[in-house]
Amino acid sequence: MNKKAILIILTALAVVLPFFTGAYVLSIFISIFVFLSLSLSWDMMLRTGQLSFGTAGFFGIGAYASALAVANLGLNPILSIILGGLFSAIIAFALGFVVLRLREIYFAITTLALTHVFSVIIRNLSDITGGASGTILPNAIFNGDPKLIYWAILLITFMVIGISEMFKRTKIRFAINSIRNDETTAKSSGIDVFKYLLLVFVITSAIQGVIGAFYAQQFAFVNPESTFSLNFLLLPIAMALVGGIYTTSGPIIGALILGLISEYLKLLIPYGHLVVYGVIIVLVVLFLPEGIFKSVKKLFASKDNVGSDINAQS
Amino acid sequence: MSLTKKQYIMLFLLALIILIIALWQPHALIYGIQRGSLYALIALPLALVLGILGVLNLAHGEFLTVGLYLSYMLYERFNLDPLLSIIPVVIILSLIGAGIYLLTIKHVLKDGHLNQLLLTFGVSLILIEIINIIWTSRPRNVFTSYSYSSMSIGNFSFGTYEFLYFFMAIAVLILLQLFLKKTRLGQATFAVGQNPRGAKIVGINVSYVYLFVFTLAVAILGLVGAVMLPRTAIFPAVGSPFSLKSFALAAMAGLGNMNGILIAGIGLGIGEAVIKSIPGAGGWADIVFFGVLIAVIIARSYREGN
Repeated sequence: MNKKAILIILTALAVVLPFFTGAYVLSIFISIFVFLSLSLSWDMMLRTGQLSFGTAGFFGIGAYASALAVANLGLNPILSIILGGLFSAIIAFALGFVVLRLREIYFAITTLALTHVFSVIIRNLSDITGGASGTILPNAIFNGDPKLIYWAILLITFMVIGISEMFKRTKIRFAINSIRNDETTAKSSGIDVFKYLLLVFVITSAIQGVIGAFYAQQFAFVNPESTFSLNFLLLPIAMALVGGIYTTSGPIIGALILGLISEYLKLLIPYGHLVVYGVIIVLVVLFLPEGIFKSVKKLFASKDNVGSDINAQS
Repeated sequence: MSLTKKQYIMLFLLALIILIIALWQPHALIYGIQRGSLYALIALPLALVLGILGVLNLAHGEFLTVGLYLSYMLYERFNLDPLLSIIPVVIILSLIGAGIYLLTIKHVLKDGHLNQLLLTFGVSLILIEIINIIWTSRPRNVFTSYSYSSMSIGNFSFGTYEFLYFFMAIAVLILLQLFLKKTRLGQATFAVGQNPRGAKIVGINVSYVYLFVFTLAVAILGLVGAVMLPRTAIFPAVGSPFSLKSFALAAMAGLGNMNGILIAGIGLGIGEAVIKSIPGAGGWADIVFFGVLIAVIIARSYREGN
C-alpha cells in the first residue's frame, strides 16, 4: 500500500510540475523524459538477451519521418509523432527478419552499423531530406509552449512505462525471460523465439521512433549529425546501467540521477562533461553489475535486516 | 602458406577487377590502395585482440585518436617531426594501453560479451571526452614538407606519402606472422588463442600473454597514429569510425586470417575510392563498409544456420 501511495504522489507531482516551475526546469525534465523512454526501450530489448546498439538509428528514422511529413506534406505535428513511430516500426519489422537471426556481438554490431547506414542514406537523399544541413520546420510543436510539450512527453513516458510493466507482468515475461536465460531450452519448451524477438524489436523500435519524432518536433529541426548522434544510444545505456537493468524502475531512477547530474556538470565543464557517462558505465560494469540503485538498496536492506534481528531477539 | 583453389580464384578475380579499375579510374585505384592499406593496418591489431582475447574492443579507434594527439602534442611542444615521434608515441601509448587493460578490460575477460562491449564502449567515451577536455573539439593540422610530395607518370600525378601505409601494412603483417610462428612468446600467444585452458595446463602464463597482446595491439595503433598525422586533420572523433571499419574487415576476412584483412582492406578501399570518384555519388562511399559488414555478418549467419 505504501509503495502505491508513493507512486501516486510522484505521478501527481510530475503532472502538476509545470504550475510551479519555469521553462528552464521544464526543459531539463523534458530531456530527462526523452532519455528515460529511450533507456526503457533499450532495456526492454535487453530483457530478451539481445544487446541493441540501434537505439539512435530508430530514433533518427522516427525523427526524420515526422519532420519530413510536417515539412513536405503539411501533416499535423501530433499525428506526425505517431507516424514517426509507425515508420520506425515498419523498418524494424522488415529488418527484423534478417537482423534477429544474429546473436550477441553480431547483433550488437549490425544494429550499430545500421544506424550509420540510415544516417548515410538520409544525408545522401538530399532532395527529400535536406542533406547534411538538415531540415528546419517552420514551427515547433504547440508553438513551443513548454508546458504543453512537457505534458506531451510525460504522456508518452507514462505509455512507455506502461508497456514496460506489461512486459514484466503479463504472460509474455515467461517467454522473454526464458529466451534470455537459455534459448535452446526456450525453443524446446515450444516458445517461438523469433516471434517474440520480432515483437519486442518492433515495439521498442516504435517507441524509439516516437521519441525521435517528438524530439524533432520539439526543436523543429533535424540534421543527420545531431539526429543520429550516438548520445541517443550511450546516455540511455548508461542510465539503465546505473538504475539496474531488466527492470522498469532501473532506467527511471538512472535517468533521473544522471539527467540531473549531467545538467549540473554541463555548467561546470562545457567541453567533455560526457566523460562522467563513460566513467559511470565502466565503474558499473566492473563493480556494480546490478546497478547503483539496487546495490545501495541491498546494502541498506542488509543493515535493516540486522537491525530487525536484534529487535526480535530483545 | 598454401592456397586453396577457391582462394586462387578469388585472387584472380581481385587482380582482374584491379586491372579494370586501373584502366578506368587510375586515381581511384591508387587512392584506394593507399586508404585500404591504412584500414588494414588499423584492423590488424583489432583482429589480434579479437582473436586472442576474444574481446571486441570498441575503444579501438579511440586508441588511434590518442596516438594521433600524442604525436601532435610532441610536434607542437618540441617541434618533433611526426615520423620521429613514432618511438615516444609507441612507448607512451603502450603504457596507456597496458594501464587501461589492467584496470578495466582484464576484469571482464570471463564475463559475457554484453559486459565487454559495454565496458569498451565506456572506455571509448572516456578517451574521447578526455581529449575534448584537453584539446577541445577544434580540428588541428600538422604541416610537414614531405607529406604532400607527389610523383607523376606522364600527365598523371599522385601523392606518394600515403604509399607508406601500404609498405607498413605489409611489414606489420610479415612481422606479426613471423612473431606468431617463430618466437616462443608468439607460439604461446597462438596457443592461447586456440585454447586458453589447454595453454594454461601446459604452463603458459595466460594472463601475461593477454596483457602482452593487448599492449602490442595498442602499440601498433601508436605507430599508425604517428605515421597518419602528417596527412590527417585531427579532432576528438577522428578515430571512431575506424573501430567499426576494422571490425568489418576482421569479419570479412574471418578470425585468424591476417592476409585476408589486407586483401579485404584494399578491396574495400578501392570500392570506396571508385564510388567517391563518381560525380554526384561521392557521399554514398561511406556506405561501402557498413553495407559489406552487414552483408557479411548476415551471410555468415545463414551459412551457420544451414
